[in-house]
Amino acid sequence: MEESEDVPKDFVKLKCEKLSVDEVSELVVSPYCGAVSLFIGTTRNNFEGKKVIHLEYEAYTSMAETEIKKICRNVRQKWPSVKHIAVHHRLGVVPITEASVIIAVSSPHRAESLEAVMYCINTLKASVPIWKKEIYEDEYSWKENKECFWANSEK
Amino acid sequence: ADRHREKPGKAVLGSGFVGRPRAPERCLFRGQVSVLYFARSAELAGLRCETLSVPREITSLQLWEEIVKVHPRLAVIRDQVIFAVRQEYVLLGDQLLVLQPGDEVAIIPPISGG
Repeated sequence: MEESEDVPKDFVKLKCEKLSVDEVSELVVSPYCGAVSLFIGTTRNNFEGKKVIHLEYEAYTSMAETEIKKICRNVRQKWPSVKHIAVHHRLGVVPITEASVIIAVSSPHRAESLEAVMYCINTLKASVPIWKKEIYEDEYSWKENKECFWANSEK
Repeated sequence: ADRHREKPGKAVLGSGFVGRPRAPERCLFRGQVSVLYFARSAELAGLRCETLSVPREITSLQLWEEIVKVHPRLAVIRDQVIFAVRQEYVLLGDQLLVLQPGDEVAIIPPISGG
């Protein structure tokens, strides 16, 4: 029985539909890997005492996909044993507790996939052209990641 | 409304250059670029995408000033935005851009993905 070569793959998707942890994990599972590490970013219901009704995301889609693929290339340079990487980001309205982003990485041993997942989300927040609007009861706010070097952060 | 949905920026192709020599030694050409607006900049400009005629060679700061002439309300976010020109980030400043017809220029407010 011939196994497929299981060439390392990057799975990058921006979509408006609800994200699935099962789907994203299954993309990266590999018979050569003993570890799958996951990060799920979910919508919180509060910010600075204000009630958050939901989040809305928009993206410069083509550039966001390119930037995420650059992150994947960097991951493979830093952690050569990483097998598959999946980054799914939701666009449009994301209700409270639902996932805005899911990142999954597989590797033969756990250290690399754990570190790579952290690197992915941190770098995504610093470099991928996606924007989040927090909707409160009476107003809304365009958020700014502290990782964004051109933000005028007052915090 | 559908304003959350990302409309893919469409490059304007085939418009070519409009060349008007101003001096014997140097020709200043203008070209048509696609300008994309996102997040707060789209709210201030009131649109997501348009074609603008801009000088082919221009600093990133001059490009910003050309855009603000068309959409003065954008002035309030000058200190918080950068550009993406052909999908590479460019700070507002002295960097000289060489623009081709149909190039995509995006206004990039502070990002908040993830």
